[in-house]
Amino acid sequence: MKYTSQAVAKPYFIAAIALFLGQILFGLIMGLQYVVGDFLFPAIPFNVARMVHTNLLIVWLLFGFMGASYYLIPEESETELFSPKLAILTFWIFLVAGAATILGYLLVPYAALAKMTGNDLLNTMGREFLEQPLPTKVGIVLVALSWLFNIVMTVLKGRKTTISLVLSLGMLGLAAFFLFSFYNPVNLVKDKFYWWWVVHLWVEGVWELILGALLAFVLIKVTGVDREVIEKWLYVIITMTLVTGIIGTGHHYYWIGTPAYWQWWGSIFSALEPIPFFMMTVFAFNMVNKRRREHPNKAAVLWALGTSVMAFLGAGLWGFLHTLAPVNYYAHGTQLTAAHGHLAFYGAYALVVLTIISYAMPILRGRAANPERAQIMEMWSFWLMTISMFFIALFLTGAGIVQIWLQRISAAPLSFMAVQDQISIFYWAREGAGLVFLIGLVLYICSFFVKGQSHAFE
Amino acid sequence: MSATFTKSMARNVFYGGGVFFFLLFLALAFDTMKVLPTRDNSQNITPAVAHGKKIWETNNCIGCHTLLGEGAYFAPELGNVYKRRGPDFIKAWIKGQPTGVPGRRQMPQFNLTDQELDDLVEFLKYSSEINTNNWPPNIEG
Amino acid sequence: MKTHDTIPVTTSVVQSDMDVSMGKNEGDLPGDFAIWIFIFAEMLAFGVLFVAYAFSRAKNVELFNVSQLTLSRTSGAINTLVLITSSYFVVRGVAAIKRGFSTQCAYWLTGAFLLGGVFVSIKLVEFNAKFDAGITMSTNDFYMFYLSLTFFHFMHVLMGMVILACIIVKARHGGYSAQDHAGVETGASFWHMVDFLWIILFPLVYIIR
Repeated sequence: MKYTSQAVAKPYFIAAIALFLGQILFGLIMGLQYVVGDFLFPAIPFNVARMVHTNLLIVWLLFGFMGASYYLIPEESETELFSPKLAILTFWIFLVAGAATILGYLLVPYAALAKMTGNDLLNTMGREFLEQPLPTKVGIVLVALSWLFNIVMTVLKGRKTTISLVLSLGMLGLAAFFLFSFYNPVNLVKDKFYWWWVVHLWVEGVWELILGALLAFVLIKVTGVDREVIEKWLYVIITMTLVTGIIGTGHHYYWIGTPAYWQWWGSIFSALEPIPFFMMTVFAFNMVNKRRREHPNKAAVLWALGTSVMAFLGAGLWGFLHTLAPVNYYAHGTQLTAAHGHLAFYGAYALVVLTIISYAMPILRGRAANPERAQIMEMWSFWLMTISMFFIALFLTGAGIVQIWLQRISAAPLSFMAVQDQISIFYWAREGAGLVFLIGLVLYICSFFVKGQSHAFE
Repeated sequence: MSATFTKSMARNVFYGGGVFFFLLFLALAFDTMKVLPTRDNSQNITPAVAHGKKIWETNNCIGCHTLLGEGAYFAPELGNVYKRRGPDFIKAWIKGQPTGVPGRRQMPQFNLTDQELDDLVEFLKYSSEINTNNWPPNIEG
Repeated sequence: MKTHDTIPVTTSVVQSDMDVSMGKNEGDLPGDFAIWIFIFAEMLAFGVLFVAYAFSRAKNVELFNVSQLTLSRTSGAINTLVLITSSYFVVRGVAAIKRGFSTQCAYWLTGAFLLGGVFVSIKLVEFNAKFDAGITMSTNDFYMFYLSLTFFHFMHVLMGMVILACIIVKARHGGYSAQDHAGVETGASFWHMVDFLWIILFPLVYIIR
């Protein structure tokens, strides 16, 4: 690596992968509970498993984003990180806080955890994805601020590039919108309205800035294409993201008590949300086709292209599938939403973090690229995980369509649980695909330990 | 003229577009807040409803159920459960958990007092009276 | 920050994709290509809104026709003239800078800016009358579209005015020349789009029955 302080990224990446493994294990537990309802009950009820599954996802992606920025910002800024010590300290605080929170979920009944952690002072718990106890939420803010501070100070003392600017903006937005997690009015409609300012404006707003910046960085490195070209396209893509995605928040405001006009605003703008993802796909393939060098890290190129395609499929196509209000009227809150959620998070965010890890980790370990055999194994893991996740989405889509039909459209609608029995075959298939995903992930982890002749720096 | 596509202009468009649409979003949010009292059933928020919401949250009900279609998809929609099942059924159901039927999905026993059950039901009653533009399509949620 | 303001695209990869539309021919898109991507997106959003309006109206012609009568066609017509005139001023401004006359360019654009101000004032009076009558986006489908479309467009006029103001200030300081005036053309393109959208919007919402 070019700057010694880039090394602080390494623990972040390792933690991200470890937590990713945890996330998948809990996903498999939940998948089984869908068909074998009393599996692990009462030790790990579904709601606890789900909280662990989604919270681990958020935390490992944040670890990935942080590691990525600590890696790429010194290189972009052409200077050492402002404070590597702060970065390491932040790492340990975040890891300990994250682990303590997960253990809290698993070992203490949620209501008792709420009491212990001062939820009575300020009610913030018990809302989807924002289940964290108050101290953890405060911790997340502090960690995000420390991260932002470290990055901004580094950028300020060095070269200022578009990529570091966009990344910093994304982080600023991430920290700012998270503050809405502290606002929990009794009025359920307002509660839900502002809850989306964290959730939607994160994943369909500021996180996409981070995604764009990370992808642009890797593409510059592996293709050797002129930075000016890539940065111009980065701007254009994230412009489209904000143009469509901000008002696109309206697609969550159809049925939660908010005014009916959101059905028009939400439908129209969210229907355009696939555009930036499509542009990203075209852009990534274009840059790789016009590459000026053959980077020895073939795996990283594969991850990068995979990100652009799967983000388009998961976030773009599967999102569009049920975003129009007349469709969403029937699809809202069904397995179709779950299908979209899985493919979008994997395609856009899990993959971009794995992309940057794939590119940076060999360099952090002192070589330009991993040995051939390790790369082949890594590429196998890419295909296993990506195809199995695609099938998970397909099976859940099937489950969702049948569910919508039986429960909401047919002349004699069945009850929720009766429908669940009818569609268990889809859940079994999904669990099978989930196991393949786990195999892919294990293979991915193994690829780090494959020995062989590695590519030295040129 | 010469064909141009400059980074500085791409940047200006990004900032301009981002700020523009965020302001538009704020304007719509402002209007929403003004219209909300006619739709959100907030006139029926009592201390019991507030307490019921807290019980809903601190037992992580959203981890299995949906409420107005948002949450987990493991267990039935509860935004309209008050209308579907009525207060007495809801209370008896919660008290009777877990069913212990082998292989069936299990709901934990949350050990709620009668007062807490009443408040939770009040919250679900309030939720069921929010104007949701006729969602869900039928009583099954 | 690197301060290459104009990157010659001939060296870039992008060039080959855009040779057709961006060669140095008479048929070039005026201004910066970045604004055209934005304009494309905007036209798409407005286009879908217009189509949505048409469908919604077809479902409820009666309501739309009755509600439409409450709109002030006079102020709409005046505003149409105001915007068309302002677009003409912008054309003259661009023509002036092409001959290298910065001051003249600034004058024409200031005229367009002031006309934009007239548009905004008339529109505010109109909005105010509607709000006083208790009409909101939640009143009925027609008003939902009327207010959404006109407000969305209204914000574009404000945005256009901000852009014009920036260009005027730069022009007055001699920031453009006969050779280098892509910035003026970029702003002009945006302003013409705002004008063009109104020319569709006005008959669609105010007149066609």
